[in-house]
Amino acid sequence: MSTSEVPLGSNEHLNMELDKNHSFFDVIKLSRSFGGIKALSDVTFSLDKGSIVSIIGPNGAGKTTFINVVTGMYPPLRGEIHFRGRNISGLRAHTIAGLGIGRTFQFVEPFPSLTVLENAMVGCHSRSRNGMFAVGLRLPSALEEEKRVKDEAMENLEMVGLEHRKFHSISSLPLGERKLLGIARALGIKPKLLMLDEPVGGLAAHEVEKVVELIHQLSSRGLTILIVEHNMPFVMSISERVLVLNQGYKIADGPPDEVKSNEAVIKAYLGEED
Amino acid sequence: MKRSERLKPYIPWITIIAAVILLAIIAPSPYIMGTMVFVALWGVLAIGMGVLMGQAGLFSLAQPTWFGLGAYCAGILAARGILPAWAGIIAGGAFVALISFVIGIPVLRLRGMYLACVTLGILMIAQIVFVHLEDITGGSFGLKGIPPLSIGGFVFQTDLHFYFLSWALCIGCLWFFSNIMNSRVGRAIKAFRDSEVASEAMGINIPMYRLQIFVLTSVTSALAGGIFCFYLRFVAPTLFSFDLLIELVLMIVIGGIGSLWGLLLGSFVLTWLSEVIHLSFGKIFPTMTGSIDAILFAILVIVILIFMPHGLAGWVEQLFRLGRRSYEHLRSSLGQ
Repeated sequence: MSTSEVPLGSNEHLNMELDKNHSFFDVIKLSRSFGGIKALSDVTFSLDKGSIVSIIGPNGAGKTTFINVVTGMYPPLRGEIHFRGRNISGLRAHTIAGLGIGRTFQFVEPFPSLTVLENAMVGCHSRSRNGMFAVGLRLPSALEEEKRVKDEAMENLEMVGLEHRKFHSISSLPLGERKLLGIARALGIKPKLLMLDEPVGGLAAHEVEKVVELIHQLSSRGLTILIVEHNMPFVMSISERVLVLNQGYKIADGPPDEVKSNEAVIKAYLGEED
Repeated sequence: MKRSERLKPYIPWITIIAAVILLAIIAPSPYIMGTMVFVALWGVLAIGMGVLMGQAGLFSLAQPTWFGLGAYCAGILAARGILPAWAGIIAGGAFVALISFVIGIPVLRLRGMYLACVTLGILMIAQIVFVHLEDITGGSFGLKGIPPLSIGGFVFQTDLHFYFLSWALCIGCLWFFSNIMNSRVGRAIKAFRDSEVASEAMGINIPMYRLQIFVLTSVTSALAGGIFCFYLRFVAPTLFSFDLLIELVLMIVIGGIGSLWGLLLGSFVLTWLSEVIHLSFGKIFPTMTGSIDAILFAILVIVILIFMPHGLAGWVEQLFRLGRRSYEHLRSSLGQ
């Protein structure tokens, strides 16, 4: 992205100040249950700025719940989430998005009545300001902002390689491109922390390569990336650290090689030997 | 950019304004102008309701209520000499903005049919209030003594005057809401209709936009009500009843909910169709034109739902696409 442009709603200098004085992202004893089922139990961990970390675990381990609680889709039962010096637990989802935590969805959740470009433009929503009356009366500020949003959304589409699809409808996109669109859309909020829910689930090998390349590119820009994924070769090759959840508990946390040989992890995946 | 390119977005607006002026020149009879006043006012209501249902996914049935409140508020203030007539229209809009805001906060938490039930309840309650607050509203006999509308010395007397006033409001609404729908706000509204979780994750404050669009469509309906009350110089509870709601729903189904101009088309078709029915069957069955209306409209709705599920507007757009495709096909095959 070109830096000559003024980013929408920029407060970069404040951001740098924030990151200097506080740890980037901490989760402290986070718990959440649904009815009697404990989806997350006292999960504690932290993320360093700029790292690529994955969460793995068998089905129902609480991985997606973790993302949902952090992004405010539902509030935690207990525990705290600190993001750049601020306790964000219990805040509403749109507020958390505005603070710079972006996410994608396992099933992408695109907006099918909008085009590809418009989907990417919705991503820029939290950093544009004009209200109902300004846009309804086509005030100059609204027109100018619309143009900026469009340019930025185009940049994000270029970033993931979907610029040639901009006027297409969502229904015409194959799964791989939909997942990329999900990332482009999330980039619109200019996230500091990007959470990817199964970014390569169901993708072909060459599509996975594309996503790997994209994640490295984003990481080199300073984004912190948290991945939830089942594809082990992908996770082990891309992550600096891997966190393993099982039935809501954290059972391992460390570099990929260490986690691979961790006994508790092997047991969780393969079951105990008789 | 070429000049023709730059002018392109204005072409539909120039066309519709030209058509409105042209009609006033070629057919200035009170009958046609008067009917067109209703087309415009029902159009404002249908646009409001269509935006809520089609774009925001809010199944609200309260449009006749806001229309009635706006009409009563403007009429009462002017009849009692509290405010000049034009200020009464604005006061009606402000009053409805306040009421719909207060009602909207709890009610918009409901979804789908539940919201429909509650807003229908509001419509029923408003009816009862209009009838029983006799001292203020004139009860079921209606509110009389509404003075003529005048703005800065100009008195709106003829059907032609109201024709221009109501169409100014109608085209204004069409322009305003279509601008909103093509902006960040409109995209946000369509986004949360498509996927609530994803739009929240993009930072969209869903309850706020729900409330804003709800209040805004209420206010435009109230302004239409204000004009309506000075056009008829009379308001009665039955004018804002369930029957009007049914008519609005018919307009939306016939015109098509997918686009704003389709809603206006629905208003045009339905209003003129019922005029034609009254004219042609009025002499044969003088006492039952209402029932004939209902039967013919029921048949029309069934036909439209089967053959044009997206309404007349959806059907026209489909024809356009088909035409363009076959034109391009023809051109490319001729080129080779």
